[in-house]
Amino acid sequence: MSSRNESPDLSIADQLDEEIASLRAQVESLKKELKIQTSTLMVSDPTRKLLQDRSKKRTVNSLDSGHVAELLKKSDEQVAHQQQCLYRSCTSITALKIRDPDPNAVDSGNVLGLRFEVMSKARFVRPYYVMLNRPYPNSRHLRVHRHTVPPCVPLAGLASRHLPAPKTSKGGADNDADDDDELQQQQQDLPRFARALRRELVRYQNRVGIIGDLQKAAELSSHQTSGSDADAAMIQNLGPVDAEAKQISFEWSDGKSGRLIIDDDGRIVKMAVQGENGRDRGAVRELIGGNVHIEKLMGQFEGT
Amino acid sequence: MARLSVSVPTTARLPSSLPVETSNNAAVKLLNRLSRPSLLSMVLDWLDPSNQALCPPLLQDGEEDYEDDFYPPASSLEELREIYSDMQQRKGSKREVVDRIVEGDWRKGVTLYQLAMADVQYLYDHPGSLKWTAYKFQRLKTPSSEDAAEQQAQKPDSGSMDIPRFHPSTFVQNLQAEVLPDVKAHYNLDRPPGMPLWLLRIFILDSPYNTGLAASHRTASNRAAAAATTSFDASRTIYIAFPDASPHVYLSNSQSTGATTAGESKSLRTLVVEGIPKAMSRPRERYALRPTNLTTRNLAELLHVRGAGRANAAGGGWSIYAGDDKRTESPLNPALPTPPLSDEDPSEELANGARKKRALSIRTTHDKYRLEAKRARLVAQARFGDSAKADDAKGIERVDILVEDSFSAAGGHRGGGRRGVEDEEEEGEEEMDNDNSLQLKKPKGRRSGVDLALDRAQEGDDDDVGGDTWAWKPKIRLTFHGSHVFAGIRQLVEAGIVEGERMPGWMTGEEGVTIGAVRYGRIRGHKGSGL
Repeated sequence: MSSRNESPDLSIADQLDEEIASLRAQVESLKKELKIQTSTLMVSDPTRKLLQDRSKKRTVNSLDSGHVAELLKKSDEQVAHQQQCLYRSCTSITALKIRDPDPNAVDSGNVLGLRFEVMSKARFVRPYYVMLNRPYPNSRHLRVHRHTVPPCVPLAGLASRHLPAPKTSKGGADNDADDDDELQQQQQDLPRFARALRRELVRYQNRVGIIGDLQKAAELSSHQTSGSDADAAMIQNLGPVDAEAKQISFEWSDGKSGRLIIDDDGRIVKMAVQGENGRDRGAVRELIGGNVHIEKLMGQFEGT
Repeated sequence: MARLSVSVPTTARLPSSLPVETSNNAAVKLLNRLSRPSLLSMVLDWLDPSNQALCPPLLQDGEEDYEDDFYPPASSLEELREIYSDMQQRKGSKREVVDRIVEGDWRKGVTLYQLAMADVQYLYDHPGSLKWTAYKFQRLKTPSSEDAAEQQAQKPDSGSMDIPRFHPSTFVQNLQAEVLPDVKAHYNLDRPPGMPLWLLRIFILDSPYNTGLAASHRTASNRAAAAATTSFDASRTIYIAFPDASPHVYLSNSQSTGATTAGESKSLRTLVVEGIPKAMSRPRERYALRPTNLTTRNLAELLHVRGAGRANAAGGGWSIYAGDDKRTESPLNPALPTPPLSDEDPSEELANGARKKRALSIRTTHDKYRLEAKRARLVAQARFGDSAKADDAKGIERVDILVEDSFSAAGGHRGGGRRGVEDEEEEGEEEMDNDNSLQLKKPKGRRSGVDLALDRAQEGDDDDVGGDTWAWKPKIRLTFHGSHVFAGIRQLVEAGIVEGERMPGWMTGEEGVTIGAVRYGRIRGHKGSGL
């Protein structure tokens, strides 16, 4: 009470502010609710049927029919959106048409977009996009224009393998032996490019996800056993050390440090642990055992 | 001086614990640059028990008498820590702290490690104090035979699937092997708070020794009495930043403590640029550094467009695809995506009303202006996306563009009036050179780095030269200056001064370069993402 007596105006203002904020939040959540309900109602079969019947009859007055047409249009939009969502969630690579806003863009601004859906931790992450255009004169060859692929995925290498630039006239006399090879390389293969890129993206996301899971498991197990028995060295810290999340560093509570190398798919390639007196092969054996995949290491943490 | 007798020329690096005498002006200057609070927090860091090997303060050992000393040494670390903590709590001048360090607790000398800490702390306090240039690692083709390796220059391997990996200690070791024996370097790796990158500070002394002789003042004047400057005064510092999970490296311009010529610091930078790819390469895995035409003082912007995220090749309006905002794009979201600005406009109903009014052709001038303003904002949103906001702290302070288009083809619609306006708003200067003046300028001594870079961009790709040789091609050079160039252009678009739809793409900053030559309305060599 004393604080209120000191500054009654401020406290009332604060209360009002709080109330306003909570009301605003309520409005937001209700708006969201409304949107979801509307979208469900709009695509439901009875609603659509009702709307279609109404628009066919045309017996009602003009104002009403205008409303019906508008509603029907919205419903159609919603159905189209839902179909798109269905495709996106099922096929994981979808194409879209984009217009380049640059007035000087090549090919009058036509851009083909590829959308890659990747799941991580049981939800869709923000899709990765690759935008392709046709900058080459007299050729329908595609070229990567813009993309949102992180630099740890070798997009440039994939593009030069599967989407090579058309050969210019001057490059012909360079080397005869590779001519056939190069001719073959001239062919652009968009589906293969998309498949290869998706594979890299998914593998990258999986590696990052597994390392995250391991980190969590290590944290949990170190918390559980920190009090009871401190004789066994615990893994204190682990994390990716390179861009592609293929090398993982381990740190034990007794000062040992190790490095685990995995391949693209998460299979264990090799591991080294450095203890106080040189290499500690025992620790490697203890951690990896007979496992070939990094996913199996989860059991090590759960068991302890 | 027992140390003198064991000072032999060596190729080893300078040890972090090497003391520098506090009579050295350059060392004191480094400390004096810091503000009082950061100076004190740094000193408390020095006094941490784990740092005692690298920055030991002078403590009372009972043998010597410090009775009439102005700063009598403390008897223990704890006591010293208390003294500095007290200073942290009360107000006072910076001078007091520096004096205490230089003439009191570290009168025997501050180590190179301490100086490095002071320098790095200054960089954190003043993030805009250095100009950074971004370079990209590029994998080189492994030559097929020994002859091929000797005969031709190494070509970049475009089909490479490797991403270079940065390992700090290996890198420093390899870089040391590249340093010439008559130069000694001190390396300090640091992790700036809140930024996903490694900061490597290289401090270079011109001395063949890695002992106290390298930084010593007294010995130098003893041996050659006329020598006014020591090697420490001619030291140079350069920073290299390695962003996490990104094949890029940012290089700062070099600073020198003493008087060095511009050419000298340039050559040092060239040396470092040449040394980095060698230090990064391994047998059968060679890398080269490629400039990416991006120079700015803002590390956050560098991390945004040359970092680990998604925005590297999706700048400007494309950033809506890369953005990490709250708008979910999950295919499981049933709600229709709303067009931009529709939900943030508080007067949506009013706008609807206005539309109806327009339909009834009772349009007031006020409504007209409001609709136009909204339209301009929509256009700006379309061209810039979520980028180039004035408050996003990702400002580029200078952009150089060389327009090479023939006058009739693409230059026609670029009105002169618009340029004039940008001049005022951006507080910038713009240079318009035609061919002649550039020719006249050329012989005048050394050319600026911008000119060289523009020339390089011009020579970069020599396709589609010829063709329209008869067209009049005035050489136009545009320079935009400001605290946040692209945010300024965006504001001009939003204000309706720059026509958003017809604005060329390079004005939105979507190419992510600060230096570029424009041909056919697009930045050359960047037909797309600059892959």
